[in-house]
Amino acid sequence: MRRRPGIGGLQNAAAARDQYRLLGENVARIRTDLMKEQLTTFRSQLEEFARKHKNDIRKNPAFRSQFHEMCTKVGVDPLASNKGFWAELLGIGDFYYELGVQIVEICLATRPHNGGLINLQELCNMVRQRRKNDRGAVSEDDCLRAISKLKVLGSGFEVISVGKKKLVRSVPTELNKDHNEILELAQAQGFVTVNEVERRLSWTSGRATDALDTLLEEGLAMIDDGHRDGKCRYWFPCVSSISSSVGADM
Amino acid sequence: MAAGKFLPPVELTTSGRPVLLPNEIECSLLSSVDLESDELPAFPLLKSGLLILTTHRLIWIPESSSTTTTAASAIPLSAITHIFSPKKSLRSMFASPRFRFQLSVSSDGRGVGSGPGSRSVVVTVVVRGKGDSDAFYGKFWESWRARVWESDVVVSSSSSNSQLVSGSGSGSDSGGLYTSQGTLRMAGVSGILRKEQEMWESTDKSLQDAFQDLNALMSKAKEMVVLAEKMRLKLLSGTNSQTGATADEEMGSKQEMQDWLLSVGIASPVTKETAGALYHQQLSRQLADFVRIPLEKAGGVINLIDVYCVFNRARGTELISPEDLLQACSLWEKFDVPVMLRKFDSGVMVIQNKSHSDEEVFARIKTLVTKPDTLRSGISASDAAMTLGIAPAMAKEHLLTAESKGILCRDISPDGFRFFINLFPEIDPNGVYSVKEYGIYATWIKATSASR
Repeated sequence: MRRRPGIGGLQNAAAARDQYRLLGENVARIRTDLMKEQLTTFRSQLEEFARKHKNDIRKNPAFRSQFHEMCTKVGVDPLASNKGFWAELLGIGDFYYELGVQIVEICLATRPHNGGLINLQELCNMVRQRRKNDRGAVSEDDCLRAISKLKVLGSGFEVISVGKKKLVRSVPTELNKDHNEILELAQAQGFVTVNEVERRLSWTSGRATDALDTLLEEGLAMIDDGHRDGKCRYWFPCVSSISSSVGADM
Repeated sequence: MAAGKFLPPVELTTSGRPVLLPNEIECSLLSSVDLESDELPAFPLLKSGLLILTTHRLIWIPESSSTTTTAASAIPLSAITHIFSPKKSLRSMFASPRFRFQLSVSSDGRGVGSGPGSRSVVVTVVVRGKGDSDAFYGKFWESWRARVWESDVVVSSSSSNSQLVSGSGSGSDSGGLYTSQGTLRMAGVSGILRKEQEMWESTDKSLQDAFQDLNALMSKAKEMVVLAEKMRLKLLSGTNSQTGATADEEMGSKQEMQDWLLSVGIASPVTKETAGALYHQQLSRQLADFVRIPLEKAGGVINLIDVYCVFNRARGTELISPEDLLQACSLWEKFDVPVMLRKFDSGVMVIQNKSHSDEEVFARIKTLVTKPDTLRSGISASDAAMTLGIAPAMAKEHLLTAESKGILCRDISPDGFRFFINLFPEIDPNGVYSVKEYGIYATWIKATSASR
């Protein structure tokens, strides 16, 4: 292209640049769209293969590892057994085991946000999202059944009821760091309220109540519900005593 | 030893599993196997070991590492020139099953190799264990015929080439837009567009071809893995640069979530099919190797159920049941592995490092209760929790164990449970009132009298 002087030339060049840019953007957009489409095909095909040919894939170790690699790369969950008749009736087969793994995985992934306490309904929705192909097939009852299969591995995973809601707790008391945070919080005044815990640590109400209840059970906290403002206070004699009693002695 | 020289040695993990090469995959294994060669004096004495077949090697590991002098060693499948079919005769029905293969050794007979002047010797595999030797033989033949090790060499030597040649893996598209900007004026816009389209069409076609049936996918597996990797990279770079579409973000976050667990993959999971009777034993060793990293991330103690999930995720479609996992963990007591299973009274089970064991915790508790302040007022579970950096319930558990060992004694008061250092072992039964000049007892007297 010959460069022409003058304002008209500049305007032309700018217009051409704009055109190129527009075209480039278009191509880029089409490219992403196409890739998404192909990725979707790739994913759905992999999912279908994982379901249909599971046993054949497992027979060939070399292919199996390649298959897993593909699944990992494009983000396909290789665990996709259908519930099937026998699983429904007797609870046998891989379905509930696979569901169990997926449930624990979701609990693990959401633990940073919720401290290992998740609403059963929310959990169920996330499982359904994972298993897009048979949406709706996984019920809350299925989740409960899958969780009960994990009982063999100790009591670290349990379903608790808070009010009408059912919550799944994936962190055992022994490993729960939430309690430490409450204790730290309580050090200031010697007591905390549910509201305070929720506000200061930005937890959900279920999480705070559950942690405080456990501390009550453990004998670390004492409840005082006779205060003037009508809010329950959880006193922690264990944290306050060192500072207060020693202070009084001096 | 001769074994070290003649056959290449094999590196073992801390739990006694072989360290596999990249792309190498375990196929089958047999226990109590002898390898012998009559023709060759330099061939090492390999008696009753574990024979593991992979896509690349035959690995022999001594069964009890302490008694044998020979180290774990391997025969590369590439050095095997022929596998004899097993003879069926009346005698073979009574003797231990055996099969033979031909191995090429270097001219001086000192090592495995196929250089000029190499000759062949016959090696016999004698199976004294109960394993299914026929199935093993079948797998052995398959792996040898598949010659996976050859494709490795090709890929590594000309990885950049093969991408261009194969083309169907969507060619050189990874740099597509970036290079096309440079060549924009020369090739013409329509040229680029045409090239783009061709590329997508070919990708589409290869996808269609590969997913016709299982056999097609198997033969195209490598190509598809490359394609998957490319898509993934593009997807990730796409989400980074274009922050517009919400769908992209959703994809990205999902990817992240799965990365988190799937990143530590086990290429050769121990299965009932490959390991047979040794299933739980081998699973136990593999689990011990695997659990090290998650355990480190979790700070030395990890819930057994978390391990169940992470381990199964790493195994892909080869799920193990909770019962199998528990059995694998309980076998650890028999092996020398750096991890252990711990059960709490509450029924919770965790896996912890042996170094994270009671002794270390006791030592820390002891220093905690012998400080001047705590000598006087004792410690509660929450004090211990805050200083040791563990949950109060766990701290209480530790304190109670320390009490049962005689390190602490308890005091139950309106303040709740408090623990003090146990001074009774310090007191001499012959002179109850005599106090030693040094020791915890003396420090305790000093500390308590100072406060009054």
